[in-house]
Amino acid sequence: MEPDQAASAQTGPGATETKIHFKVTRFIMEAGVKLGLRSIPVATACTIYHSFFTATVAPGPYDPYLVAMAALYLAGKVEEQHLRTRDIINVSHRYLHPQSDPLELDSHFWELRDSIVQCELLMLRVLGFRVSFRHPHKYLLHYLLSLRRWMNRHSWERTPVSAAAWALLRDSYHGALCVRYLPQHVAVAVLYLALHCYGVEVPAHAQAQRPWWQVFSDDLSQAQIDQIVLDLIQIYTLDAEIS
Amino acid sequence: MRESGAGRCGLSGLRCNSAPFPLPGEGGLWRVLLPGYSSEASGCCAVWVAADGMERDLLRQALGFHGPALLSLLRTEQHDNPDFRGLLPPGGPSLEPPREAQHQPPARKEKRIDNIEIQHFIAKKADLLFALSWKPSVSTDSESNEENEDCYAVMPPLEQFMEVPSEDRRELFFRDIERGDVVIGRISSIREFGFFMVLICLGSGVAREISQLEITALCPLRDVPSHSNHGDPLSYYQTGDIIQAAIKDIDRYHEKLTISLHSSALPPRLSTTKLGVISSEDLPLHYRRSVEVASTSETYEKVLHHSLGFANPAVVEFLLGKLGLSESSPPSLMRGLQSKNFNEEDFAFALRKKQSASWALKCVKIGVDYFKVGRHVEAMNEYNKALEIDVQNVEALVARGALYATKGSLNKAIDDFEVALKNCPTHRNARKYLCQTLVERGGQLEEEDNLLNAQNYYKRALILDETFKEAEDALLKLRKHMQVILYFLLTLSTTIKTPIKNIGKGEIIYWLLRLILLFPLFTTHLSQ
Repeated sequence: MEPDQAASAQTGPGATETKIHFKVTRFIMEAGVKLGLRSIPVATACTIYHSFFTATVAPGPYDPYLVAMAALYLAGKVEEQHLRTRDIINVSHRYLHPQSDPLELDSHFWELRDSIVQCELLMLRVLGFRVSFRHPHKYLLHYLLSLRRWMNRHSWERTPVSAAAWALLRDSYHGALCVRYLPQHVAVAVLYLALHCYGVEVPAHAQAQRPWWQVFSDDLSQAQIDQIVLDLIQIYTLDAEIS
Repeated sequence: MRESGAGRCGLSGLRCNSAPFPLPGEGGLWRVLLPGYSSEASGCCAVWVAADGMERDLLRQALGFHGPALLSLLRTEQHDNPDFRGLLPPGGPSLEPPREAQHQPPARKEKRIDNIEIQHFIAKKADLLFALSWKPSVSTDSESNEENEDCYAVMPPLEQFMEVPSEDRRELFFRDIERGDVVIGRISSIREFGFFMVLICLGSGVAREISQLEITALCPLRDVPSHSNHGDPLSYYQTGDIIQAAIKDIDRYHEKLTISLHSSALPPRLSTTKLGVISSEDLPLHYRRSVEVASTSETYEKVLHHSLGFANPAVVEFLLGKLGLSESSPPSLMRGLQSKNFNEEDFAFALRKKQSASWALKCVKIGVDYFKVGRHVEAMNEYNKALEIDVQNVEALVARGALYATKGSLNKAIDDFEVALKNCPTHRNARKYLCQTLVERGGQLEEEDNLLNAQNYYKRALILDETFKEAEDALLKLRKHMQVILYFLLTLSTTIKTPIKNIGKGEIIYWLLRLILLFPLFTTHLSQ
């Protein structure tokens, strides 16, 4: 059915590595919800995670879950929603050992805490201290606002395009789209897919001189949008394979 | 199935003899149709049975856009889903391509590989995409007038960048405009029956590029509020004035608008808008930006990046509120991330509480061990440590209270016990110790002759535990004591017969004391 899709999963990181990264980014997203993190810090954490494993040999000697915990801690600092290591350790421990009791305040706990802090420093050095990213979220929200004003208000109200686009954007962090593509392009592609899901036509799309997605990001082409959308759908296929 | 003649399939718009008509007004009920029921059927795909729990209109729209291929995919993917019952099982009659040209909007492109991929995706996620719970929440300020540049980047209308031809802009304007919308225009001529104005822009959250469309609106005389008791209300206005008005009536077919300057024409959410003459500084920000862009022809992205509001650190939260999205239960299309699957106990807050209680308990245990061997100072340290970790920890409070009581600081002990009991009303030790300490304190007060307070303490102990024998005994004893004093004072008062002039200071104090003491005693004595 999709020989090209199977091939694209092999190129770049291997299939097992992609699966590991998927699982660990799923962990980051779940932990983000349980820690009360907003969308942007979660996105930063995932981006840091993906960038780290793009820059180093993956997964190498690094425990991906530890890297994820350190990424969460660092992202909280970068995006001004500070997390306590104690909370991160509690949530992660519970995630990895379901239904267990929280850890006692013993040497094991302090060792874990030390590991997180050390890993954080390592990540900062690997990433060259460049941990501030431009995310698609701001762009997507402005695009949604512009589109909302152009569309008929009733058809907008009954079609959850915003919710679908936001969900697609959040889920896209399971893969490394954030690292491979520009934030504006990702935002446009996500919006494109959301509109297609509900069969929404942008008014006067055919009669306009420029298609709406070209307006939002003028260096974008239809082929690029298609590619990003394909990658995004591929992430969901991976989800179905793993679970 | 309703019998009917030739009609149009609501899905593909094709003529089909077998299809009863899905009329949107009929509760959205559609009928299932198998192509091939009637030899004159045009091979249209199945019309939809009301899928309960799903947004039928949305489904219909998506199916209309993607065509029959999506329908067959949906059947395959969702045949287990009870919300999609009415779907035929896979292996139903094969769908023939309609013989007529597709009733699709001209913008639809030819089938490409990724269109199939997208349709696969939609089919797999249909139960999430079309679930009713995803209906966007109508946020209260979704159409507010606030174009606050500091909060987000206010952009010119999209169609300006898309360069939509004016006929289409005009058509869409007259399709989407509604009564109660605020419009801004310039007076072009004043007649005796009202004035005409040419519209410049819109003002109530709907933003369109209409300044070149030469749309005129009429404001009849009766909709112009009078500014003085006599004279023509229209004399207040001049050609060229910029006016903000509300749409009163729309004739979409003839493209005629009637506007009003009375605030009664405004909907409730916009009732504070000022109607009438405005200055050019009051023109909405999106319009002013639009004028700038028309002259500089900047791209959307450039305008976005140059906006101050785009750099606002809180822009994401602000726009999420405007669009009605939530950060606390974010939407997701991954099955594992649906918020209803998350357990409250796994959240950081709950885990921290549990952990704090456990750590505090350890400290308390150590403290109790110290207490038993008489090392009170170390014990107090441990209890305080425990209470720092977990401020409301019941065990720590009870233990500390017991330590205070032993050392004689009865008031502090009582405070601790009370807080502990408030947090955990069923804690037996807390109740027991509190009663004992209250009685002990009462005894102390009795010895200091502070009889009323003592009585209060005994009463409190009895309220907490009605069966507490010691409190009962102490209370009875106290009351007897008070009765004795009372009679003593009474007999004293009857024997003293002193003229008022000779009353010395000490005696005045004595009488005052007697009065103060006797009056409440009388009342309690009487109430017994």
